Amino acid sequence: MLKKSLYEFMNYMPFLKEIVKRDFKKKYYKSVLGIAWSMLNPLLLMVVMSVVFSTVFRRSIPYYPVYWFSGYIIFTFITQASHNAMNSMIHNASLIKKMKIPNYFFCISSVTLQFIMALFSLITFFIVAAFFKVPFTMNVFLFFVPLIYSYFFALGLGMFLCAYGTFLRDLDHLYSVARRMWMYLTPLFYPVDIIPSQFRFLWDLNPIYIYLSIFRDLTMNGVMPSERTFIIATLYSIITLILGIVTFKEKEERFFLYI
Amino acid sequence: MEISNAQIEFMQNQNVGRDPEDDDVCVNVDDVSVMFNLSKNKEDGLKEYFINMIKGKVAFDEFWAIKNVSFQVKKGDSLALIGRNGSGKSTLLKAIAGIIKPARGNITVKGNVAPLIEINGGFDRSLSARENIFLAGAMHGHTNKYMKKRFDEIIEFSELEKFVDVPMKSFSSGMVSRLGFAVATCVNADIIIADEVLAVGDAKFKQKCEKRIAEMLKGGTTILFVSHNTNQVKKVCRRAVWLDKGKMIDIGSSEEICDKYSKFLKTSKKEVRQPTGRIRSLAEADI
Repeated sequence: MLKKSLYEFMNYMPFLKEIVKRDFKKKYYKSVLGIAWSMLNPLLLMVVMSVVFSTVFRRSIPYYPVYWFSGYIIFTFITQASHNAMNSMIHNASLIKKMKIPNYFFCISSVTLQFIMALFSLITFFIVAAFFKVPFTMNVFLFFVPLIYSYFFALGLGMFLCAYGTFLRDLDHLYSVARRMWMYLTPLFYPVDIIPSQFRFLWDLNPIYIYLSIFRDLTMNGVMPSERTFIIATLYSIITLILGIVTFKEKEERFFLYI
Repeated sequence: MEISNAQIEFMQNQNVGRDPEDDDVCVNVDDVSVMFNLSKNKEDGLKEYFINMIKGKVAFDEFWAIKNVSFQVKKGDSLALIGRNGSGKSTLLKAIAGIIKPARGNITVKGNVAPLIEINGGFDRSLSARENIFLAGAMHGHTNKYMKKRFDEIIEFSELEKFVDVPMKSFSSGMVSRLGFAVATCVNADIIIADEVLAVGDAKFKQKCEKRIAEMLKGGTTILFVSHNTNQVKKVCRRAVWLDKGKMIDIGSSEEICDKYSKFLKTSKKEVRQPTGRIRSLAEADI
């Protein structure tokens, strides 16, 4: 059973490559700057956010633009990827109805596309970090670790949401609201210190915050996060991924009736 | 390779009473039923969803597109599905291709399937023909390297040399169908599933397609075929299944079934007949 699934997965790897390529091309179809937008977009937003918030948080956060940028990359990647994965069955209905492709590949392709875009944003991030003279340490080279955690978390979450969102289109709108709430609950533009310490444990329950703090520790603070943090992050990713796969497998047989 | 009717009958008789799990059988459809729900968008809303959940029963009309159909196809054989519109031919093909799962019964398929459910199946109109060939190839599970080898052959067969890098938006339906046929048949599939794919294209191209199918049959490929054109069915396929309203009416040699079917169409005057002439060609172009 597992061997068969693995074989199927390897067999469709070229398809994954092609479909990501297709979505990538379509996203920047006929735009002059193309992929440069995924580097430029956060840069422009960063300028706006820095102007608005840096007077408020200047004392407590060093390198405010870099701080905001790091949060933006991780948060946007996870939420946008899971949102796209959730709608992937509906968007690719024409293919799913005609071709025999394992459904979950459309979830993987949505997340992978966002992952590639996050990598491009990361180039800008490092340029900005160098510009603001953030001290450099060797820890920076581990930047991909929190991204990999985020990838599997986003995939698991996306598959879980997809299993329900395919039947219930309202989830699309509901998730947009939830994303906004989630944004304010994650210390993207404010320092975590403003949360009273007796409530701080609630923030540890937020996987995005865990991944983000690992990313910030490695790239900005030059600190190696504690082992405990890594264990929590791994658990969050694995549990979400397993939950996503199990839910998706259970529901996918009935997808074709609803798309 | 011409095989006479007597030979076919002999071969069929040989298989009577044999185990369905026989090596020769590559498609085994065993008492299959497919259900759709005519939900009329009922369950798409949150309110209805919860109401239905409280009621404990989902309230939509069940519609059985296929009901208790069983047949077997041997390796290298060609089988046509004929029947009027809405008789469940395409649904059955989709079930065999593994795209939809039957509500009841089992379908076992040995070997890899190249589904050509619709002529433009899998093409993205905003991409060029070149990109689409690789995309469609990947959907059939082929690597980039393999498709590169086949690329020239596909372009040549579909006669699209001048339009390789043109977005498919600007293609005519004939061009799209030619490319679709070329991509699906260039690959080494054990089973080809073709739904009305020979309906579009001029006479010359149709001939070319029929020739290609004959070659594939010779090479041991199994073909499942849907068409409204009984003459074509007789030419391409050895055996045929007649479906009506989701039920299997008859199975046998394509000559025999096609004649019965044509007779049936003529006698059932009250029912809507197959569109003829101009309307027919329009209907075929629309798939």
